[in-house]
Amino acid sequence: MTGPAIEFRNVSKSFRTIPALSGVSFEVAHGEVCAFLGPNGAGKTTSMNVLMGFLYADSGEVLVLGHLPGDVRAKRQIGFLPENFAFYKHLNAPELLRFHVQLAGLGVQGDVLIPELLRKVKLNGYEDLKIGKYSRGMVQRLGIAQALLSDPQLLILDEPTSGLDPAGRKEVRDLIMSLKAAGKTIFLSSHLLAEVEQTCDRVIIIDRGQVVRAGRLDELLGRDDRVEIVVDHLPTTMEQLLTDRGVFVARDMQVVRLTVGAASKRDVAEMLWEAGCDVISLNRVRSTLEDLFLKLVGDGSQP
Amino acid sequence: MNIRVIALNTFGGFLRDRLIILFCALFVCVILLMMTPLLAARTLSAANNTQQVQAMVLGLMSGIMALASGFGSLLAAWAATDTIASEMRSGTILAVMARPVRRWEFLLGKYLGVQLLMVVYIAAMLLLSYLLAQLGGERIHSSWWLLLLYPLVRYAVYSAIAMLLVTVLHSIVTIAIVLVISVLANVVAPSAGHSMIPEVIRTPLYVLLPSTNLLSETRLLSLTQAPLNPSSWLSHLTALAYGLDYALVCFLLAVWVFHYRGLTRD
Repeated sequence: MTGPAIEFRNVSKSFRTIPALSGVSFEVAHGEVCAFLGPNGAGKTTSMNVLMGFLYADSGEVLVLGHLPGDVRAKRQIGFLPENFAFYKHLNAPELLRFHVQLAGLGVQGDVLIPELLRKVKLNGYEDLKIGKYSRGMVQRLGIAQALLSDPQLLILDEPTSGLDPAGRKEVRDLIMSLKAAGKTIFLSSHLLAEVEQTCDRVIIIDRGQVVRAGRLDELLGRDDRVEIVVDHLPTTMEQLLTDRGVFVARDMQVVRLTVGAASKRDVAEMLWEAGCDVISLNRVRSTLEDLFLKLVGDGSQP
Repeated sequence: MNIRVIALNTFGGFLRDRLIILFCALFVCVILLMMTPLLAARTLSAANNTQQVQAMVLGLMSGIMALASGFGSLLAAWAATDTIASEMRSGTILAVMARPVRRWEFLLGKYLGVQLLMVVYIAAMLLLSYLLAQLGGERIHSSWWLLLLYPLVRYAVYSAIAMLLVTVLHSIVTIAIVLVISVLANVVAPSAGHSMIPEVIRTPLYVLLPSTNLLSETRLLSLTQAPLNPSSWLSHLTALAYGLDYALVCFLLAVWVFHYRGLTRD
């Protein structure tokens, strides 16, 4: 496969006079799990809709698997889960999946996949229940099943864990990991940053229709050489001593947190032991995706 | 293949649509109520005033059939509007269009689904016509296929107009415009006689709007015992080709508009 799986070049899109995307550019390589992050209304779903050919960009160029968005040759290799997956209420799960099997042109071989997929998303046993009676989480699972139906090369998932309980979210996370191991390209949007951190290789952060940061997760989060030491208590004299040595001290309700440079962690820990402080934990300080996200897009309190 | 799958799914959806079921149930009730005087008239016809009673029976029958036919036009327009509008409103279209389906295939599938519904409706209407004729002691002098084809083409025209309008307008506005079109088409037709509309407006409107009079099966649904002058094959072919052409133009315009519009609710 040549070229990236997804290519956005200077894409802009407005709804009447309101700009939704302004010169958005990014790429997603084959076999990569890429998260598309941003606050509500940042342009994530609009980008995905442009990607799928549901909306036309006002300007710029978009290529999906080497084809223009909406091209059936690309769509044959794409599994898509829309935000708030909607369904035909008069069908049950096997009927809906059969409908999608037929649309995907999978024929009899697709029919065989249906029970297996329903088992995979834990919907077996609900075959006769009309989808209109499904819970939000069950609908989301069904949406994931239909996205996986044609064994796609590229999965575009808009909020895949939305509406799922913690166990369901873990199942989706495991599923993404297994798809990643199988070499699939996954492009997903999510608000659950801790989960994204566990599953994704790359991150694209968008805010107000513009890409504010994109790159590999490890590069974006960087390396922090600080260590946090948690102790049960800290005498005042000791605190003064440590502060003079450049240690940052923060007192919680029950514990005291000390942040020190990695080079001096051993010395500080020994000093604490000798002073009779009980060291509860000693961990490397690591920037989280949430920290980065909030730094880049704020906490949403800005207008 | 995709077109057939979408058409059958659309048709299946209609058969389970509560609103359609409710409307059809109401419609059947109205028909049954209208049939009561027909049955009473039939009893009277055995006694005296045969001609007077026969005229009453024919009047009732044509009234019921006109109602059924008019309801069909409304149903065709509503079904075509709703099948597109509800997909857009609910967002089900996104999962469908994420499959290897072209936009025109989706629209054609939907359109054919509506036509399937209308075939079932016309079959029921035909059955009702023959039943009424039987009850009224009359005979229908037209071929059954003409009674099937004419309304089918007329409904194809109305559903194509509705489909074209709903690709750009709200569903309620669409239905309202289709209703206005159907009323205007009847008013401006030469057969409607003298009207308040000036000739300078009436003629272009007659050319522009679908001639539902020409496509009306009541034109050839002769119920009298003496058959009317039968129309020639060429006349039927011309009338039906006119209707199909009108529907095709509207449908192609709908495809063109649908191709360039966004599929989301934004």
